[in-house]
Amino acid sequence: MKQAPANSWRPIDAVEAVVSTVWPRRWRDKIGWPFIAPALLLVGILVIGLGYIIQDSLHELDIATYRLGDDYTLANYGILAQKTVYRTVIGRTLLAAAIVTGVSLFLALPYAYVLTRTSSSAMRKFLLVAIFLPFFIGQVVRAYGWLIILGAKGLVNSLLGLLGIAPLDLLFNYGAVIFGLIQYMVPFAVLLLLPALAAIPEDVELASENLGANWMQTFWHVVLPMARPGLVGASVVVFTLTLTDFATPEILGGGTTDFIANTIYDSFFEISDPGLGSALSVVLVTIGSALVGLVFLALGTGTLDIARHQE
Amino acid sequence: MSDMSKFPMTRRRFVQGAALGAGALMAPSIAFGQSKPDEIVVRAWGGAWGDALKAGVADGFTAETGIPVRFDFTEDNEIKPKIWAAVDQGRVPPIHVNWDTTINATISARRGVTVDLSDLPNLKGLLPIAHPAGLEGYPFVNTYSYVYVLAYRREAFPNGAPTSWRVMLDPKYKKRCALYDDGIGFTSIAVIAGGGSIADIPDNMKPGYDFLRQLKKNEPLLGEDPDFTTWFQNGEIDIACTISVNARAARQNGIAVDWTVPKEGAEVDTDGLWIPRGLPENEEYWAKQFVNHALSRDAQAKWCSALGLPPVYPGLKPPADLVGDPAYPTTSADFTKLVSIPSPVLVDNQSIWFAKFNEIFQG
Amino acid sequence: MTGRRGKAIVMWTLTLTSVVMLGLPTIIIIGASFTSGDMIRFPPQGLSLRWYGELLGEVAFRSAFWRSLYVSVICTLISIPIGVLAGLATMRYRLAFGRTIQVYLLLPFTIPLVVSGIGMMLFFGEIRILGSLWPVGVALSVINIPFMIWSVAAAIGGLDPELEDAAANCGARPVQIFFTVTLPAIASGIITGALLMFILAFNEFLVSLLLTDSRTVTLPVQIYNSIRNVITPDLAAVSVVYIVIALVTIWVLDRLAGLDIFLRSR
Repeated sequence: MKQAPANSWRPIDAVEAVVSTVWPRRWRDKIGWPFIAPALLLVGILVIGLGYIIQDSLHELDIATYRLGDDYTLANYGILAQKTVYRTVIGRTLLAAAIVTGVSLFLALPYAYVLTRTSSSAMRKFLLVAIFLPFFIGQVVRAYGWLIILGAKGLVNSLLGLLGIAPLDLLFNYGAVIFGLIQYMVPFAVLLLLPALAAIPEDVELASENLGANWMQTFWHVVLPMARPGLVGASVVVFTLTLTDFATPEILGGGTTDFIANTIYDSFFEISDPGLGSALSVVLVTIGSALVGLVFLALGTGTLDIARHQE
Repeated sequence: MSDMSKFPMTRRRFVQGAALGAGALMAPSIAFGQSKPDEIVVRAWGGAWGDALKAGVADGFTAETGIPVRFDFTEDNEIKPKIWAAVDQGRVPPIHVNWDTTINATISARRGVTVDLSDLPNLKGLLPIAHPAGLEGYPFVNTYSYVYVLAYRREAFPNGAPTSWRVMLDPKYKKRCALYDDGIGFTSIAVIAGGGSIADIPDNMKPGYDFLRQLKKNEPLLGEDPDFTTWFQNGEIDIACTISVNARAARQNGIAVDWTVPKEGAEVDTDGLWIPRGLPENEEYWAKQFVNHALSRDAQAKWCSALGLPPVYPGLKPPADLVGDPAYPTTSADFTKLVSIPSPVLVDNQSIWFAKFNEIFQG
Repeated sequence: MTGRRGKAIVMWTLTLTSVVMLGLPTIIIIGASFTSGDMIRFPPQGLSLRWYGELLGEVAFRSAFWRSLYVSVICTLISIPIGVLAGLATMRYRLAFGRTIQVYLLLPFTIPLVVSGIGMMLFFGEIRILGSLWPVGVALSVINIPFMIWSVAAAIGGLDPELEDAAANCGARPVQIFFTVTLPAIASGIITGALLMFILAFNEFLVSLLLTDSRTVTLPVQIYNSIRNVITPDLAAVSVVYIVIALVTIWVLDRLAGLDIFLRSR
């Protein structure tokens, strides 16, 4: 730790004095609230926006004026409940979120593990760059890259052609969308797992192996449980991001594998029915928040931790 | 609506206040006193469409008036809620002129967010199709027609163009056909291809829905204009129901694509221009001058021949490569081969047809 | 497969699979950007710097780039203090309704971007700040703030509270402890979070689409609008510019703090 400069105590004392008047000692243990207030207010902006959405969801579209009617009604929610297509879309999205979360974690774990355990600094840098670079390119452009690779006359099929194999149908289906989402989410999962895996001392694994466990047993019984906070954080983030994703199903799906966000987009922009779009949005937010809440209840909040750290 | 008295003066109210004051002093010369804005913002489709508007209309307007034109390339669908929110909240809208589909323009007209254009001098003498169907006055003005043709890859049809839309049901073209992802330009044709007739639209759409269900088994791709171009380019599709402009642009870019109007016909529709309410008075004036300019003989000729579409200005010659093309209807005989649904019917039914289309293809 | 060897093989195979999967589109896009033809394809038809020239010439792209930079900087500057304070609050102080607050703070992820965009457009429009660029920065901070909070919280989680107790025992007052002990120790988390916020803001197009107009359009929105009509290789060229910026940023970060800070948990 660097030595603080000689006269730094003066301005710090001044700040200290101000803070003491504004927030006296006896309130010190409630300091959590003013600290978290700015974040609560920032997200409050979203909540206000959500208020408009909830308001809109309770009004029906009048075709004659193409405006939302004045009466309050649950008609939009009724449409969502009645038509099977909405259940199909919601089911499709939830399934994709589950699969993508599972596979992304399966790929991210070894990646993060290797990253935190390798002794070569050059390899560490390489792996970190490989994770960060995709973030800079963005989701849309990467998806277009995959269109070139997986297309009917794309790289993969050209290669297969060289080997004499008939071209495969790799694009514009559910599988392509899931693959596109996995490759987008793995970097997020790795980033969220890094602190948790880095915190597990190698000695613990060594101890386990000295007691006779092979590496797979050590991994399953020692590393994974200790990495649980990272796993929970990564799962929650990847799941919610997949649940609400718009660009990947749009570009890689060929138009027939709409996710919830695509249907919401269509309601607002294509058929100009903000009532229906808002209702579907409210349903999505409720499902997402409920699932997240359940996970937190069951497994704790992981590296998104809010509870006082006991260790 | 929030209490606007708490908020600072908007540009619009200032200009209105000043205009009232100035008007009191020089009422007869108000039109001459409209100060020129720094620029006019026009929403346009990009690529070949935007280039045509620039060369045909915007450049001429700037040369005449000295006002530069800025293009807003936001999609027509995506700018709708932005304009509507602005008008409803009493703000200045983000654009001066919207180059929009007639269906969208009709919706905005029904909402009452457009400026009436009835006093534009260049409206005189235009073809009747320039007047919005089913609406009073000119909440917008139609500027040209276009056809949703059957575009096809030349190599896939060595024996000549397909003669019927039912070719899309051929298993040979499984996953190699494309439609617009909201079914636009196709839903009505589907009724006829499915054995019905124009009289069935909109009350008996069943033949159309049955045709769509059959088509679904052939797994068509659904997308927008750029998707069609990419898919043709990359050899992903052989057939698409798309606007002739896109097929022509693809062909001009070297992609081996042609188009035809099959025996069942093809849907014909129009695009138009409208001005959102809430602009400052002088800006609204010059926006109207822009629209007026777009309806002049010169602008119509340049703009529409660049697009390859029949203008609403009568008596103009088609470009050389489109003479006699069924996608360029000029005589009433040409129009009988095409399927034209009045805009009010389209607007009333589009969400129903879209919901059904969605149900069939997403389910 | 249970020995040391087996472990290395399995781990490295999976890791390298991910590297290939993540790197392949990047390579394709870089390759496609050097084409002399009119379409994006790989391998490119002929090599040329034509599209980079077009890009530099496009005033629209250049202004959009600076606006994106401005907006991302604002987003990052707002996010740092808010994220640090929130991270401290969640890790250090007992808060009533802890879990509810956590679910609340995850709303930016559980609300789809399209909806966030529309909601904020209506709200910002109502309070008449739509049409300026700085609200876009605020909006981008809102939608990504959980990343910042998480990043700081993770760093604080690894911080030994005894260090601060020791400082207090030496007579330091709370504000002094914060600036001389806590802040330097969690610097890694702050830098990780700030970098992530910056990158995500620089690339965001859905919410920005709804909050910008033709006079304030940012680069990702510009790109998104132009590919709605025709996909030309200047899109690939722009992406390569992004990649170059990425590499420069990562290099600078490595120089300043060492990339290993992402791995430190203490």
